[in-house]
Amino acid sequence: MNRRTTLAGVTTAVVALTLAACAPTSGSPEPGTAAGEGCDGEPVALDVWSWRTEDVKTYEQIFDVFEQANPCITVNFQAHLNTEYDQILRTGLTGSDGPDVAQVRSYGLLQPLVEGGNLEPLEDLVPALGDFDDAILDGARGREDGAVYGVPLASQTIQVYYNTAIFEENGLEEPETWDDFMAINDKLLGADVTPLAVGARDGWFVPTVHDALTAAQYGGADFQQALRDGDTDFTDPGYVDSIQTLKDLQKYMPEDVTGVAYTDAQVLFTSEQAAMFAGGSYELAFFQEANPDLDLGVFQVPPPPGSALDHPVTAGYADGSWGLSATTEHPQEAETLLNWLATPEFGQLVADELKQFSPIPGVEYSDPLQQEMWDLYQENPAPYLLLVDYRYGDPVGTDLMGEAGQKLFLGDVDAEGAAQIVQDGLSAWWTPGE
Amino acid sequence: MKRAAVHVVLWGYAAVALLPLLIMVWNSFRSDQELVAEPLGLPVSPSFDAYQEAWVEASFSTYFLNSVLVTTASVVLSTAVSLLAAYALARSRSRLMGVIEQVFVSGLMMPVFLMIVPIFYLLDRVGLASTRTGLILVYAAVSIPFSVFVLSTFLRQLPVELEDAARIDGAGPLRTFWSVLLPLVRPAVATVVVFRFVPIWNDFFYPLILVRDRAQYTLPVGLTTFFGEYQTSWSTLFAGLVIATLPLVLLFLVATRQIVAGLTAGMGR
Amino acid sequence: MSGRRTAALPTPVALLFLLPAAALFGIFVLYPMATALTYSLFSWRGTAQEAFVGLDNFVALFTTEPYRSQLPRAFAHNALLFAGAMVVQNSVGLLLAYVLHRRERVRRLFQVLYTMPYLVSPLVVGYLWSLLLSPLFGPVNAALRALGLGSVAQPWLGDPDTALWVVVLVTAWQWVGFPLLIYGAALGSLDPTMEEAAMLDGATSRQRFWHVTLPMLLPVIGTVSVLTFIFSMEAFPIPYALGGSNGSPAGATDVMSLLFYRTAFNSGASNAIGISSAVAIVLFVVIVGVSVLFTRWFRKVERGLT
Repeated sequence: MNRRTTLAGVTTAVVALTLAACAPTSGSPEPGTAAGEGCDGEPVALDVWSWRTEDVKTYEQIFDVFEQANPCITVNFQAHLNTEYDQILRTGLTGSDGPDVAQVRSYGLLQPLVEGGNLEPLEDLVPALGDFDDAILDGARGREDGAVYGVPLASQTIQVYYNTAIFEENGLEEPETWDDFMAINDKLLGADVTPLAVGARDGWFVPTVHDALTAAQYGGADFQQALRDGDTDFTDPGYVDSIQTLKDLQKYMPEDVTGVAYTDAQVLFTSEQAAMFAGGSYELAFFQEANPDLDLGVFQVPPPPGSALDHPVTAGYADGSWGLSATTEHPQEAETLLNWLATPEFGQLVADELKQFSPIPGVEYSDPLQQEMWDLYQENPAPYLLLVDYRYGDPVGTDLMGEAGQKLFLGDVDAEGAAQIVQDGLSAWWTPGE
Repeated sequence: MKRAAVHVVLWGYAAVALLPLLIMVWNSFRSDQELVAEPLGLPVSPSFDAYQEAWVEASFSTYFLNSVLVTTASVVLSTAVSLLAAYALARSRSRLMGVIEQVFVSGLMMPVFLMIVPIFYLLDRVGLASTRTGLILVYAAVSIPFSVFVLSTFLRQLPVELEDAARIDGAGPLRTFWSVLLPLVRPAVATVVVFRFVPIWNDFFYPLILVRDRAQYTLPVGLTTFFGEYQTSWSTLFAGLVIATLPLVLLFLVATRQIVAGLTAGMGR
Repeated sequence: MSGRRTAALPTPVALLFLLPAAALFGIFVLYPMATALTYSLFSWRGTAQEAFVGLDNFVALFTTEPYRSQLPRAFAHNALLFAGAMVVQNSVGLLLAYVLHRRERVRRLFQVLYTMPYLVSPLVVGYLWSLLLSPLFGPVNAALRALGLGSVAQPWLGDPDTALWVVVLVTAWQWVGFPLLIYGAALGSLDPTMEEAAMLDGATSRQRFWHVTLPMLLPVIGTVSVLTFIFSMEAFPIPYALGGSNGSPAGATDVMSLLFYRTAFNSGASNAIGISSAVAIVLFVVIVGVSVLFTRWFRKVERGLT
């Protein structure tokens, strides 16, 4: 025990030294110094892991706020490469040098850690979890016991961004009806502007585009419930129709869409060669940074005639949460931190500094566009269906839709065939109604 | 006419081969905005900002030294032990040696992904997780199969008469190995060094999983982690990659000279 | 011949020479390998090892979806990568090595130039080529159109018929220095008198290559082939960078290592570690099996020729 504390101290010192060595322009205070000042007891260092390598500096500033309020606790924030994070976390939580608190994935991809007993259930430790929206908490629940294993960190919404300058030039406005939407597409196509910036080479992007364009058509949350109740499956005519809509819209996407990478689609949009981009709220910061002159607007796609819903919806999902390592040596301090991570104070920092949607009640957004996206979602929420409910086995729903969508665009299958691919793939581990 | 055609092909392909390096260098002089707007354009107003940022902000100097240390030590270690082993395998008639060789070579065939988790727990248990020593030992060990395989093939090709002569002169096996075989096998050693140095230098998978302490990061893992996703500074990433690739180019120039020198020495005998 | 070739090293001395490599290899490769093997024999609940299930994971791999259909598809793609590497990368490498061998003045220069792509991190290589081949911004299609070859322009990575060949070509482009250097080194250590003798006998350069040089290179060709096979079966960074973890488009570039990656880290399946370990073990067994059979066969061919 003693040796461990010493070791932790040494590690802290080394980390502090490294950070100091590379700090000249960052201006953030060195962790370690803050803990010493004003602390009556023994200072404790918490290791906090994340996959947000791009947010390291911001997080360090955010945790400075926490450290000032809790002088005896230092937060060592460490980000690992997103693509390898799950493996690093898995070994970290089962080895000896893991984190005390870590960002964990949501929904299906959270389950391996829950089942392995690597995380602590949090409902008793963090009372504020009771105030969170139930649909958001679902992202942090264990599949089997229904307990909550994470403090939700961020939510994402999926909608259509548009270039207001291009819209104005062509005398266009946000669509109110499906016919409006199609008229916009036709007009833009005639004006030699790519209407929809879509890249289908990256399979994961296809289900996002599908839900952005057609969630209302297949019925959003109603369809989700019907699937959960076992009343239907993915070969449902409404779902097939929504895939057909995706195919019908292909002519408004770049040519050879299966060869267009997701990043190509981003460039098309930010370089103002395309007018609309169907994508997640996480794009906003990138769009604004890549082209500060870009005038952006967002809208929900109105449902086409014969849709399951009569109003447009915004699909959304919980994107990661903060979990507590079952082997932490500082459970009390970690609990203090987790409770802070559930406060509106932290939520507001997430909104203002990280430009993300915080699911913590009471958070407001200074960016009007961000506020608009959040309001649209609050008014008419829908689940990002394949991510929310269909990643609890192998293969995952989003991968299946990626492959099915690519085949659809290539003309290898029709809408019915694409729906069948999703249904057949999922039936390896999922039965409607279970 | 035929000569000219050969030269056109040789130079033409050389241009294609150089393409990535050129793009890397070009892009390191361009701003992020330019990169996003036009991923493959030429630098309009070249700037060295990205280099400064890479060096200062990415604590490049630390990672650079770690990379030099880890890569050099592991390649030296693995090449030394592999040479000894390859000599033994190539010059022994024992049946046991055949079996041992197969076991060595099987190490080449093990998917790295599968081994990484047990390796982590192994290092964790002996207190070598997150250390450069641990990384050096692992890299050296995983390099052995390739090095042994290539070196023993070369040693088998060498005529044994020289060794016989040395033995008749009264030299022991180690001495024979050192003074007779080593000079002959130099091109193969240079080849092995290049083909182990480069992947280890570029590798970020092992340190990513095995090292959690920033002070021990190597260059690629430092770069990939620092710059993380595409959304951040691409030009800095390119600058970092240029600096990271330069030592390889230098090593390579030296190594090919070695290969050529070794060849000439070999033919002179 | 073989008796004379292997100047006997007494076994005890040989073992002593082997010891350092064996120790390092045993601890850091063999032991983890054995541990990993046991992973595939257990069922898992997330990160927790549960009951010993024998070969159940392997049975599941061959009988249940999605593995039953994805496994053979991925294997076939790996096999194509190998065939492509043999045809493109290794024969071009050998040809270039042979051409350069007789041009001492420029040899080193071209060796360096051709090996440049190998020095660049494979992830960057993947990123650059997907940019170059992009149907929207890529200069490859633009160049083809400018040359009046617009009909040849393709969504290279977006078409299942071309995507895997792009992977083959990009891999060959990056790796051609490998056969080039190895064959270069081998050509240099060959006995030049044989070729000189053939030249005096009036053999053409093509005849000398086929009948004198090539047979002498056989052991090295065997080595390069086995290594190419292993690298092709384990290909990861380039397929990943060009086709993502699902082998886009529509699984056309899916390979074994991607299947492993997906099974292990991109699924919510409880038994992910058990199944993914089984995938890796199957891959390992195939590589070992084929390599051993190939080596045996090749040694026989070699003996027949010498």
